[in-house]
Formats: sequence, structure tokens, C-alpha cells
Amino acid sequence: MADYKILFTGSVCSGKTTAIKSLSEIETVDTDAKVSDSVIRRKQRTTIAMDYGVLELTDTAKLHLYGTPGQERFRFMWQLMMSDLVADAEALILLVDNTRTDPFKDIRFYVEEFRDYLVKRRLVIAVTHADVRANPDYNYYMNELKRMGLFTTVLFIDARDPADVLKLVKEVVGRREKTVDWQALAEKLSGNSTVPEAVAVPEEVADSGAKPVSLIDAAINTRGITGAMHLGADRKVLSSNVASMQSQALLKAMVNLVSALEQKAAFLGNIDSFMLCGEEQETLSVFVEEEQALGMCSDKGLSLTVVKQQAADLLQWSRDND
Amino acid sequence: MIELLEAVDELDFIEGCCLMQADQVVFSTFPAERRNHETIAKKAFNYVFQNAAKLRSAHDEAHLEIGEKRVSGFLLEGNQILICLSSKHTNIVNVRNNVRELHSGLQQQAQIV
Ligand SMILES: Nc1nc2c(ncn2[C@@H]2O[C@H](COP(=O)(O)OP(=O)(O)OP(=O)(O)O)[C@@H](O)[C@H]2O)c(=O)[nH]1
Ligand SMILES: [Mg+2]
Repeated sequence: MADYKILFTGSVCSGKTTAIKSLSEIETVDTDAKVSDSVIRRKQRTTIAMDYGVLELTDTAKLHLYGTPGQERFRFMWQLMMSDLVADAEALILLVDNTRTDPFKDIRFYVEEFRDYLVKRRLVIAVTHADVRANPDYNYYMNELKRMGLFTTVLFIDARDPADVLKLVKEVVGRREKTVDWQALAEKLSGNSTVPEAVAVPEEVADSGAKPVSLIDAAINTRGITGAMHLGADRKVLSSNVASMQSQALLKAMVNLVSALEQKAAFLGNIDSFMLCGEEQETLSVFVEEEQALGMCSDKGLSLTVVKQQAADLLQWSRDND
Repeated sequence: MIELLEAVDELDFIEGCCLMQADQVVFSTFPAERRNHETIAKKAFNYVFQNAAKLRSAHDEAHLEIGEKRVSGFLLEGNQILICLSSKHTNIVNVRNNVRELHSGLQQQAQIV
């Protein structure tokens, strides 16, 4: 009996739980909980520990499917899984939600997080939600990944469609398991499909019952963030809960500086972020977009990569709930 | 001094660095085509560290991402500032760790200059 393991990872909402449910023949172990905090209200359920499912490929080959929780605050689980449960997995499948503002930012983040894990195994990138937003397209991904020095397989899938997710499995184990009848498997799993029959109602509309909370509330519920300041297009403070006068003044100074530089040095490109750190100091960071800006105070122990990812998530959340 | 800056330069993800005292450049290895980044970095880090000092905060490290690049500023003893240029896609920790390594050496050297 050959046992294969595959690990799915990717940002919140990228479709990890859905992909595993699409493939699994057993009732999947899912540890989804109702999204109780305000961080991501657009989503009804989120995975808090991990997903697990099993699929019999042939009489002699079994596939175990694992999924990480997406929210950054459950990140300790990733390490736990990598060092134990999925230490012997064949491949890491990175699900990338094509509707994110910058899917490549997500790719960079996860490749960095799983860097050591990837030394010994394959990475496959699976782009999801492309039915909602088609761009960036396949060619764009290939070019951009080449530029990043990442030579890897990219597949566009709908995580809700078993036949699509099965393509990923074939990509990973197909060469070793030659006797699998992929067609028959797809038919057998077709009952797992959650692709809506009719035209899908866009999620934003469907969820409009949930009252959006402010960006500040969302920030405060994110691990390691102790204060936040939300600024509008004119770089004036819309709302803030930064307690210390010192941090408040510094964040404002940083925003002023970025605004000044934005005008003078536009030819060098956009200023995405400005971060200020110190051995014993809270990390202060400022992230600017055309329509809004975000100032954050976070725990000095939090890695700057994580701070950046959190800010990107929050800004995206704020745009979605505008 | 110059040797030390060249040592920083050997870390190949650091594309250039520059040491400032007050608002004067003591020495720079910034490539000519990146002089604009140097100018921006000088202004930005001087401004932000001055503000931090005024507000009695001990922040001594700053990173500014602009276009595809990142400039990082480290406040050294004697109010010198070391500025490094790197691609924003490299890990900040690499920049920090390697610069920190040279930090103490730079502080000693800074007294000689
Ligand atoms: N339109 C569309 N919806 C998708 C696709 N893949 C997943 N979804 C939907 O996206 C939503 C989120 O999917 P999940 O599987 O819960 O996401 P997750 O990655 O497990 O998220 P966390 O557990 O919170 O990290 C679900 O409503 C899915 O039905 C896709 O390719 N297209
Ligand atoms: Mg999930």
C-alpha cells in the first residue's frame, strides 16, 4: 500500500478547505469555526487548526490531504504540521486567490514561510477564483514567477470542482501511480462538487447582511497589532486607536514624510511601506495606497514580513467593505 | 572605513550603501543610477530619526519601500546613519542581520573618521 501526502496552503479564502472537501471520500475532518472575530466578516467560516481528507487512488495507493489554517494568527500550526504530520509529504500546493490585490505578494509570503520545507519537495501553484477574476492570466503568472526565480507548475482550478482539484493530484503523483483511472475518479467524486448550478451570487452581495466593522476593529483583532490609524485619500486621519501620544506623533510624521516623497519622487515608483523599528520599541509602520493609508503599531517580535502581510490583508479587507 | 563599507557591499543582495553624519555623506557606494534613492533615503531617515529623538523614542532602524527597491536606515552611535539599498523582494531580516553584524565594527570605525 502506497500512502501519499499532499499539503495545501494559501491565504484565507483561497479554497484549501474546499479543495480537500472536493477530493475526500470520507467526511473530512474540518476544524472550521464560525468567524467570530471581526477580522474577516466577509467569510462565514475559517479553518482554525487544519483540514484533513483521504482519497483512494487505486486498491494499493491512498492519498492523504492536509490543509493549513489560512489566518496568520494560526501560523504556529504551520510549523507544527511541517515538523510532524506532513514532514513526509510529496508536495506543497499553494492556493492563490486570483481576486487578491497582489497575488504575487501572497506567493512571495508563502514561499518565504515554507522555504525550508520546499527544499525537499515540489511546489505547485494552483490559482483559484479565476472564474471571478480572470486576470492575472496564466502567461502573466509564468512570466512573473520566472522573474522571481520560481520555476514551478501553475494550474488554474476551481477548488469547488473535484475534476479540477484532481488535476493537481495527477500533477503530483501521476508519474508514479500509472494505473490510476483519473476519469473514473473524477466521475466518482463529482457528487462532492459545490460549483453552483446557476450563476453564482457574488459573495459580497450574499454576505451583505453582515455589518462591516471598521478597519481599526479588524486591525485590533489581528495578532500582534496593538494600535492602528486609518487615513483617507487626503492623508487625514479617519479614525485611530493608537494609545501612546509618542507613537501617534511618529506615525503622523511618517505619513507626512511619505506624502511629501510621493509627490517629489513619483518617478521612482510607489511608496508601499515605511517601517520604523527598535530593539525595545513597538514597530511602527505606514502603508499607503491611493485611496487610503494605514498606520500600525505592532509587537516588536513580529517579523516585518508578517506585518506587511497583515497590512495587505487589512487594506484589502477595507477595500472589500467600502 | 572604506574597507568596511566595501565589506557590506560584498553581501550581494545589498546593492549599495552609504554612511551619513548629520546630513553629510561620509562615504557612499551607491551605484550612480541609484543616486535618487540615496537622496530620498537621506531625507527620509534624517527626518524620521530626528522625529524619534525629539519624541524621546529609541527607534533606530527604518525601511522604506519605493518602487521595486527598499532603502534601509540604521542609526549608529554618534548619530551616524548607515543606509543600505536592496530589492524589496529580499528578506528584510537578511539586510538587518548582516548590517547588524557590521554595526559594532562601524561604530568603532566611526570614531576614527
Ligand atoms: N468562485 C469560486 N469560489 C471558490 C473557489 N474556490 C473556493 N471558493 C469559495 O471560496 C470560499 C472560501 O473557501 P475555503 O475553502 O473556506 O477557504 P480556506 O482557504 O479554507 O480559508 P481559511 O480556512 O479561512 O484559511 C468558499 O465559499 C468556496 O466555495 C473558486 O475557484 N471559485
Ligand atoms: Mg479552511
